[in-house]
Amino acid sequence: MGEELRPEEAARALVEIEQRHEQVIRLATIPTWFWWAIAGLIVGLSAAIESRRPLVLGIGIAVFVVGILATVGRIVAGSVLHAQPRNDLVRPAGVLAILGFVALVLAVTLPTGFALKAAGTRYPATLSALICGVLIVLGGPLLMRYLHRVMRANVTGGRR
Amino acid sequence: MIKPKFDELIHAPTRLSIVSLLAATEWADFGFIRDSIGLSDSALSKQLTILDEAGYIEIRKGFVGKRPRTSARLNSVGRAAFEQHVRALQEIVAQAGASVLPR
Repeated sequence: MGEELRPEEAARALVEIEQRHEQVIRLATIPTWFWWAIAGLIVGLSAAIESRRPLVLGIGIAVFVVGILATVGRIVAGSVLHAQPRNDLVRPAGVLAILGFVALVLAVTLPTGFALKAAGTRYPATLSALICGVLIVLGGPLLMRYLHRVMRANVTGGRR
Repeated sequence: MIKPKFDELIHAPTRLSIVSLLAATEWADFGFIRDSIGLSDSALSKQLTILDEAGYIEIRKGFVGKRPRTSARLNSVGRAAFEQHVRALQEIVAQAGASVLPR
């Protein structure tokens, strides 16, 4: 039958394959609310630590732990309950991008925090956590967009 | 280098959709496949059985809490057959020129 298949039909089949792959890749999308939640939790924890009040610190740590478990758990549960995109779709380029993003956030926020502390600023950790939060909220969706591109390039089939 | 090989079993429209979904996943839940493709439970079961009998997929049955859960994955034989099938389709399109690609 392969030899008898019309090119238009073959092209339609490739489009169908591409669309199904896209459906799976979309599953791997980390929603925008996740980046806001993580940023908020980091800022909240830093503020709680710098408040130097045991009760606020205790509540801050509890909220941070529960918040991280809930947000990450929700993302993981989504992939476990539906479908998990193939691990090798991300490839080294994607892993490097993730590590690069973490390194960039740390490279900006840690020196900023130390510099603010050295300058005698009142809440250096909270301020640098705010910068960290901004980087996460802005960079997270960009990172996802890049990872999607990498995944699309690595998945078999489609009109490539 | 993947050798092009048209696969009749995979090319049937519903199975092409199922295998394409599975090709991008480690495991896919029965409900996810059913809802993504818009099949009934029985129609999907039938197609999965055909693919299982062809030796293309692995079906895993388990429980999440008390709820039964079925997942499927493309095994190495199925993945190779799918890749060869895609290559065969690409070859047919390439021979006719890119102008046939629907937009």
